[in-house]
Amino acid sequence: MPADMHGLAELDRLIHEPARLALTAILSVVDSADFLYLQRETGLTKGNLSSHLAKLEEAGYVAIEKTYRGRIPLTLVRLTDKGAAAYKAYRARFKRFLEKP
Amino acid sequence: MVDIEKIEKRTVQSFYDDGLTEIAAGLIFLLIGGYFFLQLGTTGSTAGSIVSSVFLIVFFAAFFLVNRLLRFFKRRITYPRTGYVAFKKKEMSPKRRVATAVVAGIISAALAVLFRTSPSVQDLFPAVNGLLFAVAALLFAHRVGVIRFYALSAASAIIGVGLAAAGFGDLKGLSLFYLLFGAALFITGLAALIVYLRRNPRPEGGSQGGPDAR
Repeated sequence: MPADMHGLAELDRLIHEPARLALTAILSVVDSADFLYLQRETGLTKGNLSSHLAKLEEAGYVAIEKTYRGRIPLTLVRLTDKGAAAYKAYRARFKRFLEKP
Repeated sequence: MVDIEKIEKRTVQSFYDDGLTEIAAGLIFLLIGGYFFLQLGTTGSTAGSIVSSVFLIVFFAAFFLVNRLLRFFKRRITYPRTGYVAFKKKEMSPKRRVATAVVAGIISAALAVLFRTSPSVQDLFPAVNGLLFAVAALLFAHRVGVIRFYALSAASAIIGVGLAAAGFGDLKGLSLFYLLFGAALFITGLAALIVYLRRNPRPEGGSQGGPDAR
């Protein structure tokens, strides 16, 4: 493998998937967001969003809090410290790869 | 390919989509402008000295009330339509805090010296305020990337310099500046809110309302 491809191969594949990358990018700049906000900003269907969030949660990258306000369900999502560190590392590595001549 | 920086910027911008922040800021400016106007009308009287001594109370009360209103309307209008989002509170680094304090101190001291040594400079009150708010709005517009904030920056400079050039200086010019710029903020915010409401009808049964919703 060429040397400059090593950086790309080392990318976190869990984050590298476009929908999950969009989700982690959004969550990296907010404290928390609800399901509706994430759905609207990413354009994902409910099912897709749930599936991607479940994968991120399984890896310990996001914390999902399911609660109710009156009778209305409220799903709050936030990036965990582990998720924030993984996203930061991914971002730096990917940026370095893109900047290589 | 996913443009990470674009997504991050768009997320920050989304907070201003509904125009409520400008409406809130506009209300604060209108209240301050109204306060200066009241001060102008009561100069020399006992009421005047009471009015001028409560400036800080008026300012903080206006800020507190408008902030509460902003949160109320975000819960009622924004969160049910486009979802709840809470942004991180940015902690300023000690270095940056010192730098900001030094710059603010230098500007304040320079203005104080200028106004003391040359009373006629008071005629430039609206121009100085207009230019200061124009710079602040420009920096903010550049940081968040919301186009209408550039227009507000230009409006601040034009209103401030225009009032000074038209001979409205001192407290009268200042009150007019705050009232006009407050109205500009309020109107752009209202226009943004109307566009937002048209684009984002309330989804049926989709209301989540955020964690503070009652």
